[in-house]
Amino acid sequence: MKVTVKSWTAVATWRWVANDDNCGICRMAFDGCCPDCKIPGDDCPLVWGQCSHCFHIHCIMKWLNSQQVHQQCPMCRQEWKFKE
Amino acid sequence: MDADKKRLQKELMTLQLNPPVGIKVNGDHGSSLTTWYVEMEGATGTLYEGEKFQLLFKFTNRYPFDSPEVVFTGTNIPVHPHVYSNGHICLSILTEDWSPALSVESVCLSIVSMLSSCKEKKRPPDNTFYVKTCSKNPKKTRWWYHDDKV
Repeated sequence: MKVTVKSWTAVATWRWVANDDNCGICRMAFDGCCPDCKIPGDDCPLVWGQCSHCFHIHCIMKWLNSQQVHQQCPMCRQEWKFKE
Repeated sequence: MDADKKRLQKELMTLQLNPPVGIKVNGDHGSSLTTWYVEMEGATGTLYEGEKFQLLFKFTNRYPFDSPEVVFTGTNIPVHPHVYSNGHICLSILTEDWSPALSVESVCLSIVSMLSSCKEKKRPPDNTFYVKTCSKNPKKTRWWYHDDKV
């Protein structure tokens, strides 16, 4: 028997690979988005610090921008540096 | 719903469903979520065993980037070297050491722990002066955190 595929529909799933389920700042799921966004994914990405803690980029930026003196990781209080 | 309200709503649900021992959030907060009353019991085996206290939390719309304003309120203010008789608490995580990873639950647990490590019930040495001159909002006080033994 010979089968000719006329059309097909691809389905894929995705998830962030993070060492935690929720953002420690907004407490929303990493696979969801921060409370200011509507669509999870590349528009509301995660970022890691050199200390290995991970947050929604919008959440950690809000925190860093609100700090005048030290910029520390909310989880471990080490100086916050973005992981390259 | 705003970001601060979303997080507060989540925290409230978790605390009501799964409260830590000796902590109870009062159910009635109105619709605003900006003011919470939390009942707290002194831990067993400590100087405050059997005592009941009430904490008042006030949140701004910048929460959790802004720390909550937390004071003891009601008829029983714990007698403790870091608690003023007007309910103000000298605790660094409530001002300069605040982090958005902290929560109502972790603040309550820190306060229970602060009470629990107390060896002698007494007011702060500058209580009379402070209570007469301070602002109503403890976050406007410039705190000196010099005693980490209690």
